[in-house]
Amino acid sequence: MSDILAAILIALADDELIIGHRHSEWTGFAPHMEEDVAFSSIAQDEIGHASAYYSLASTMVGQTPDQLAFGREPGEYHNAVLCERPNGDWAYTLARHWLYDNADALRLEALERSSRPELALLAAKIRREERWHSLHAELWVKRVAEGSVEGRGKLLHALAEAFAEVRGLFEPFDNEERAIAQGWLTVPSPVLGARFVETTTAALDDLGLPVEIEPGAITTELIASSSGDLIATDEESASITPAGGGLGGRYGRHSDDFKALWAAMTATYKIEPEATW
Amino acid sequence: MTTERAIWDALEKVKDPEIPAVSVVEMGMIKEVDVRGGRARVVILPTFTGCPAIAVIEQDVREAVGSVTGVEGAEVEMSYDPPWTADRITPKGRRELKAFGLAPPTGNGPVLVTSIGLPKTALCPFCGSSDTRNENPFGPTPCRALYYCSSCRNPFEQFKDV
Repeated sequence: MSDILAAILIALADDELIIGHRHSEWTGFAPHMEEDVAFSSIAQDEIGHASAYYSLASTMVGQTPDQLAFGREPGEYHNAVLCERPNGDWAYTLARHWLYDNADALRLEALERSSRPELALLAAKIRREERWHSLHAELWVKRVAEGSVEGRGKLLHALAEAFAEVRGLFEPFDNEERAIAQGWLTVPSPVLGARFVETTTAALDDLGLPVEIEPGAITTELIASSSGDLIATDEESASITPAGGGLGGRYGRHSDDFKALWAAMTATYKIEPEATW
Repeated sequence: MTTERAIWDALEKVKDPEIPAVSVVEMGMIKEVDVRGGRARVVILPTFTGCPAIAVIEQDVREAVGSVTGVEGAEVEMSYDPPWTADRITPKGRRELKAFGLAPPTGNGPVLVTSIGLPKTALCPFCGSSDTRNENPFGPTPCRALYYCSSCRNPFEQFKDV
């Protein structure tokens, strides 16, 4: 039974490790220095959270946190596909950051009530730190949403693109129903997903961002033309429904983007797996 | 002096390597110290989960406790029960943070998770002015936010409420 819990902890850690790795790619490259600092700190937090989840799992599976983080084959990682997508432009980075941290906040709130005290306590601690990530993401999404037409148009497209794969974050874990029965998890992933759609729709509405969310398809009412002007849906509409919808990650099915990330992320570890730092 | 008292004194000398002005005791990171027949057990509450200083602190605590007369073995544990919160920093710790040039967190009691955020005013640790503005909710370490003081025109950092 502890294998079931360990696999869930590892999947949670994988989400945090992979999004943290993507955030860390802004170190030295962000559009301005304050954001270089912010994304580096957020990355450090996320990778720290991954390390804490791996540590809980490590005693159950008899592997060190480093072995779990860097010693597996690509198909053994269970992060959502959304986390592995390249940063793209600043708009996509912000859109994914905002969506991911909103989703993570709901997940942590549910994990805080886990019947496993060590998981409940860790989730409570992580949730307090993640508040800062959500505040950072909200600040930026609001700033761009209320800013120039060009920026707003880019953000709308990025939100639609990221939202199209957000379901992968709520794909059920392996043996999730047994973890629910034990009280280790308190809310089924699809129920969390429905809550996420509800709160995100309300938040987008508050921001005046007309992104319509439908199950399996995302449409934007307004899209940006090449000049950056917004075009109403009655003239043209954007409907983004990529094959897969970001699903499969929880079962080890990843995009080609993941393979490149994995190769870079594990390169140093593979030189000398037994090295201690 | 009891061995337990001696351990607390030894812990007063262990500093966070990233904030060398304040001891782990003043930071409120020591949950408990327990001595039984020469075996000492110390429970540490990490400030931030991903803090890279934690491994160093754990090592320093183990060495400090191990060197106390009467201690034959030291066990150091990490705990999130309760989660470390900024209100755990002692009044002395707050003064030391300020003297170090780091504005202390404002929280006076356990802060609700939903009310974690930037304080309305952060007092400049250099001149005491409240005419300050937040430049970035993140700083050189995950536990710090960046501010600018419009009175003395110095940038400064604040230890975040978490």
